Amino acid sequence: MKLFIYSLKNTLFESEAESLTCETVNGQITILNNHEPLITLLKDGVIKIIDKNQKASYIQTMGGFLEIRGSNEVRCIIDQNITSQNEN
Amino acid sequence: MESTQSIKRRLKSIKNIGQITKAMELVAATKMRKSQEAALSSRNYAYTALDLLARISGQEIKLPELLRQREVKRTAFVILTSDKGLAGSFNSSVIRLFEKYIKKENINIKDERYYFIAIGKKAIAYLQSKGIKITEKFIRAGDFTTPEQINPISDSISTGYLGKKWDEVLLFSTYFISALKQEVFARKIFPVELSSIKKIIEEIIPKTGKFSDLANKKFFLFDKIDEYLIEPSQELALKALAEHLIRMQFYHLILETNASEHGARRMAMKNASDNAEELSESLNLLYNKSRQTNITKEITEIVSGTELLNN
Repeated sequence: MKLFIYSLKNTLFESEAESLTCETVNGQITILNNHEPLITLLKDGVIKIIDKNQKASYIQTMGGFLEIRGSNEVRCIIDQNITSQNEN
Repeated sequence: MESTQSIKRRLKSIKNIGQITKAMELVAATKMRKSQEAALSSRNYAYTALDLLARISGQEIKLPELLRQREVKRTAFVILTSDKGLAGSFNSSVIRLFEKYIKKENINIKDERYYFIAIGKKAIAYLQSKGIKITEKFIRAGDFTTPEQINPISDSISTGYLGKKWDEVLLFSTYFISALKQEVFARKIFPVELSSIKKIIEEIIPKTGKFSDLANKKFFLFDKIDEYLIEPSQELALKALAEHLIRMQFYHLILETNASEHGARRMAMKNASDNAEELSESLNLLYNKSRQTNITKEITEIVSGTELLNN
């Protein structure tokens, strides 16, 4: 699936991914390929991404939104805490 | 004619001023670019958020309080200026627009129904000099580049709206057209009209100059709207999204004002440096002339002295 993760300050992830695990208001979910269309709210926590090389990466969030489109496309917009990223 | 010494002193001080204004010009140019870049890098977020909004509010739905309109009884005015001067007409044009509006709408500034919020020291100083009661003031917004720094401002204004302290919020600020051109605008930010948020986000891209080529890129993909499962519920999702959109709007407005401030300062400082250069050139000429006169005078004296001795 195509995965896009954006914060107000920058683009955090923008490529193909195998799976995405995140904390939503209704509990933790993992999204794999061809998930049904869904819009949900994210809670504070960590997003885990497995990319197509089976490598895991993690992004801290302070809430946000998750949208899964029918075209196997996943978009997240998240809020970040200032301490979680390098100030430039 | 002025003495050589005093011309030299003036020349030196003008050169110093020229150096300072040149440095300020460069600093302002960098800061302007930084504000612009911050605004541009949030575009993906902004467009996705708007896209989400379109998808969530596709069906008939009860609007959250933040997006609902109500009868206007009390109005809040927000004036967005910089903390520091030396930025040409940047602050005075915002204030002039505000004064014009007050006059046109026949607003009694002492009326209890009006609230005034000042962002930036210049706005605070202006309102104080008019004897207007300032409801809230914020300073140091000029160097803000992260959403976390701007959230307190947007939160306090939206809390006031939710708490029915005011039913309408008007904002006076500067709109960044290009590095050389900025315009002042009065905008209604509450009650929220979604079309106006969309417009603000579209305006992030400057019309000319650096970054303007981004305008041609397509971002909206309203191809086909799928049947979405919305969790936890449509209302809650829309409410959370509305809060985000409002914060985002303030973030952009402040970044835009910052870019304008630095743009205006850059122009003002460029003019000052040019003037200093011109002035130092003409003073240099004057200095050389006066030095030459002195030398000629001295030579004449020596020559006439030796001639006197030879005779």
